[in-house]
Order: sequence, then structure tokens, then C-alpha cells
Amino acid sequence: MLFDIDFDVGVDRVAPVNLNPQASRAVEQYIYHEARLLDERRWPEWLDLWTEDGMYWVPHSFDQTSPYEHISLCWENKLLRELRIRRLENSRNWSQQPVTQSCRVVSNVMIDGTDPDGYLVVRSAFHSMEWRGKEPVHRVGSLIHKLQAQEDGGWKLRMKQVNLVDRDAVHGAIQVYI
Amino acid sequence: MSYSNEDLAALVREDSVHKSVYTDPEIFRLEMERIYGRAWIYVGHDSQVPNPGDYHTTSLGGQEVIMVRGSDKKVYVLYNRCPHKGAKVVAEGCGNTGKFFRCPYHAWTFKLDGQHLAAPMKNGFEGTCFDPKHPDFSMRRVARVESYRGFVFANQSAEGPDLGEFLGHVITSIDNMCDRSPVGEVEVVGGTFKVWQPSNWKVFYENLHDTMHANVTHESSYVAAREQAQDYGSMPLELHIMDGNGEPYGFWEKLDLYAFENGHGYMEGIFNPGAIETDPVSKAHFETLKDAYGEEKALGILGQNRHNTIIYGSGSPHTVFQQFRVIRPVAVDRTHVEIQLFRLKGAPDEIYKRGLMYANLINSPSSNVMPDDIEVYGRCQEGNLTRGGDWISMHRYNGTDKPIEGGMVATNGTSELPMRNQFRAWKKFMTMA
Repeated sequence: MLFDIDFDVGVDRVAPVNLNPQASRAVEQYIYHEARLLDERRWPEWLDLWTEDGMYWVPHSFDQTSPYEHISLCWENKLLRELRIRRLENSRNWSQQPVTQSCRVVSNVMIDGTDPDGYLVVRSAFHSMEWRGKEPVHRVGSLIHKLQAQEDGGWKLRMKQVNLVDRDAVHGAIQVYI
Repeated sequence: MSYSNEDLAALVREDSVHKSVYTDPEIFRLEMERIYGRAWIYVGHDSQVPNPGDYHTTSLGGQEVIMVRGSDKKVYVLYNRCPHKGAKVVAEGCGNTGKFFRCPYHAWTFKLDGQHLAAPMKNGFEGTCFDPKHPDFSMRRVARVESYRGFVFANQSAEGPDLGEFLGHVITSIDNMCDRSPVGEVEVVGGTFKVWQPSNWKVFYENLHDTMHANVTHESSYVAAREQAQDYGSMPLELHIMDGNGEPYGFWEKLDLYAFENGHGYMEGIFNPGAIETDPVSKAHFETLKDAYGEEKALGILGQNRHNTIIYGSGSPHTVFQQFRVIRPVAVDRTHVEIQLFRLKGAPDEIYKRGLMYANLINSPSSNVMPDDIEVYGRCQEGNLTRGGDWISMHRYNGTDKPIEGGMVATNGTSELPMRNQFRAWKKFMTMA
């Protein structure tokens, strides 16, 4: 079962890392690219960004340290990410008629360092607007990406954590990836 | 317009209901007075206020109230209002207020049961009728509060049946949720989701036992779940709970639908979370219950497989996955649903995690299932604002319902008995003298 998995979501124990300006810029570009794939609904490419066991996490509470003892707005592995996208693409997804349009600004990208398992921890801030023809929905928060270095020099997503500023609010439907 | 009791009664027919009950703000106002002012409404669970001074704010039909644990360990439900200028005494949310409540405006203080404790500067009250002992100078308590196995209900009216009588047979769903714990107790843990519904509160209640919508409204999620299962070569519980909505009409027709006095009811379970012979989590759960209650009773407890239960005016417990969807009307076209997740004390941790997974995947705002419900509820609200017709049909299997003690059972699981039953209760409350 999904919640049996033992996945370290910790992001605080990081060792400093010294990336040259070019490498730092490549990390930033990766974060922006990930955001753009979501806004452009390029789902297969977005799914390909992930490691096999990568986790997408949107905590529900401010003091939440784990997805195992507390509800989460999203706690999704590969199976559930693919499921969500299959549903978004199904022609009888009534709540996606019209589809969600989104645009997000990602900024304040800071490379914190590497966690004990060697994943690169990158923090940023975002502001997005979603639109389905009635009320605009603004989402604001911080992002934490845990990136796994690839042999070819690129990166894969080990974890993406989305910390909404209003995570404990009464929400309408949250359908597309933040 | 203003409605006489005859006008209100005429809005509900045996087989249909006038759309204004969903769209007219004046009817909504009357509902808050006559239904939410007279019915027993779930306030919260004992475990949310374990220690003296612990409080939790919530609302009863739009009335902001505080559930608080008194110094005598009893739970009190107070209107969140200082009797001086009317300020809300505590901010929304939860916390511990210490030994007393203190109004942030002029420091009037109140005992945890609402009684006036002190107001600053006694000298200014001489020669007035100010009397700390008079109820006008205390925080007002909701007329009646009763707790059943930790579930706290309040009633704004001093008249009428007690909680047990009001709940009737549906109380067995609360029993079953608690009995699933080997010590017979549950607690709210792990956070509560809050979701907006762009629709009248009654739409949500009706949908809870509306088996005809599952296959249609949820097509996108059960098809996605089936495609996923095909690719993975198996169907884990995460997908199984979505797949269930895709059962054909023949499956739903065979389910039992029970409807009881006061609008309550429940429907038979639609998915077995795991047979005790094959699923290790269910087997471990069964073993703890067997040790506590003996084999026969343990089998009876786990064998009671109910899907949504309806406690009219309060919300919907789901006993098998330990959830309580608390339904709070906010406006004629806006409803707040809060999803509480319970831990079965003493049961294996895997059972809690299964409930957590169900909450995340089915009851959260980010669910892959609920957005389509929210969408169709909103469309009902919008469609009913047009001049495209005045009546809403509840004809399905009308006239075939079989009476049982305290209510009725449907002859067919796709019957609209639950809706007809809810409107019988609605009519009773709304036209009561």
C-alpha cells in the first residue's frame, strides 16, 4: 500500500554545496522548465522528470513534518501522478470543462545544499493563477525540490514539496499540479 | 417573499420538490432557524478538547459556537459572544483558554461553562441593574448538549426528543465506528480537510446515497483507475476505491438503502476493504477485535459494511474508513464540508493509515473523485436559477419503499428513497408549529 513506503521527506539536514555559476544556472533552468511543463500541460514530459520512486507532496498543515501521520493535500507516487493525469485527459472529466489554464511565476531560487542521501535541495517561491472561466484562483507558496543527479549531467525529481501559504484554508477543488 | 407553513408544505410533493428550496435565500434563512434551530447537530468530538480549557470553535447552522472542556471535565457548547458588546470571545480555531475566557475588548471574563466571572472596575455599576448572576451577563450556552460515545451534539432548542431518540437506528453507525476499536474508542487525529461546495447544503446530503450518479459523474476517475490497474497488472486499494464508482447499474440495484425518521439513513458498503482471510491488515485488525470481544462479536463488527451514513443536519460518518464529513451550510448556494479522520484506539496502525489514504484520495479538495461531484452540484445550483423548469424529480422507485421499524428500506438500490425521506424530514421541521 502507498503509505507503507519509507521515504525521507526531510529537507533541513543539508551540507553546503558549491556550484559554479553555470551549474547554478542550470539548476534554476531546470526548476523553471518543470514549472513551464505544468503550465503548458505537457504531462508526459513532466512525468518523465521524475525518478521511479519520486514523491509529490503538498502538506496540509503548517507544523506537518510527515505525510504518514497527517493528512496531505497531495502525497503522490508515480502510480497516483499518472492516475491524476489520466483523469485530467479523460474526455468525461466534467470538472475540467473548461480545462484549467494556469501560469506560474517561480522565483527566489536558492540551492540549500545536499541532504544525507546526496540529493540536491533547492528552494524557491511561486505565485500562480488558475482559470476555468469563472473565478481566478491564486496560489502562492514555497517549493522545495529534491533533485537527483543523473549520469548524463542532468537532474531528476526525487521530491517536490509545495508549501501553500493558505494550506489550511477551505479550498475548492485542487485539480492540476501546483 | 414570506412563507406560510402551507406555502412551505406545498414545495414538497411525494415525488418531487420545488427548486426554490435550493435557491431562495429566504428559505435558507428559515432552514437555519427551523431545522438547525431544532435538530441535534454534531459539534465535534471529545478528543478535540481533551483537557480543561481546551476549546474548538465551530458553527451550528451559521451560529458560531465554542466547544470547550470545563474545569469539571464536562464539555460545554457556548455561543461565541461576549454579552457586553457582543464581541466574539475567541478567534476561530482551537487552543487552550486557561481557567477562563477573557473578552479581548473590555476584559469581561467567564468561567469555562460560560458563567460570568468578573468585569473590571465594579464601582461603575452601582445603581444599575447589572447583576453578574443574571444570565444576561454570561456567555450563553446552547440549550442542550449531549455526547454519545465521544460524539458531541448540541440542540439550540430546549424542546423536543433527546439525542438518542433523534438519531434512532442510525446511532448504530456511531457504535460500529467505535466498536472497530478494541477499546471501543476513537479520536480525531491527523488534521481535517475543509472543502467549499458551490451549492445548497441539501444537494450534498442527497448525493451521499445517490447511486445513480456514480457511474456517470465519476467516469473520468474510475476509467483512469482501470487504465492504471491494467498497466500495472494489479489493482491496489488506492485504485480499487475509485474503481468502485464504475460498477454497472445492476450492482447498485442490489445494494440496500435504509432511510429513517428525521432524514437519516445509510447505505450498504460498496467495497470490502479486505477480507480477513486474504488481507493481512484486515486480519491483524480482526485479531485485536477477537481478543477484545470474542470471535463472534468481532466478526459481527467487521461484517457491518456500510458506505455513507447520513445524520441529517450533521453530516456523514463513513465507518469502514473512519471518516466524518461534517456538512455546514454557509449560504443558500455555499456549503462548507469538513472531513474529520479518526483513529481507532488500540487498533493496528495500518488501519489508521488506510483511513488516512482514503481521506487523502477521496475526501480531500485535491481528490481525483470529488471535483466532479463539486462540478455537478454547482451545475444544479446554476441550472435551477434558470426559467427552464420549476420541479426536481424524485420519482425513481417512488411508491415501492417498504416500511421497517423507524423508517423504510428501498426495494431497489437505485431508488430515490433517501431524497424523499430527507424532504419528509425537511417538511416536518419547516412546518412545525
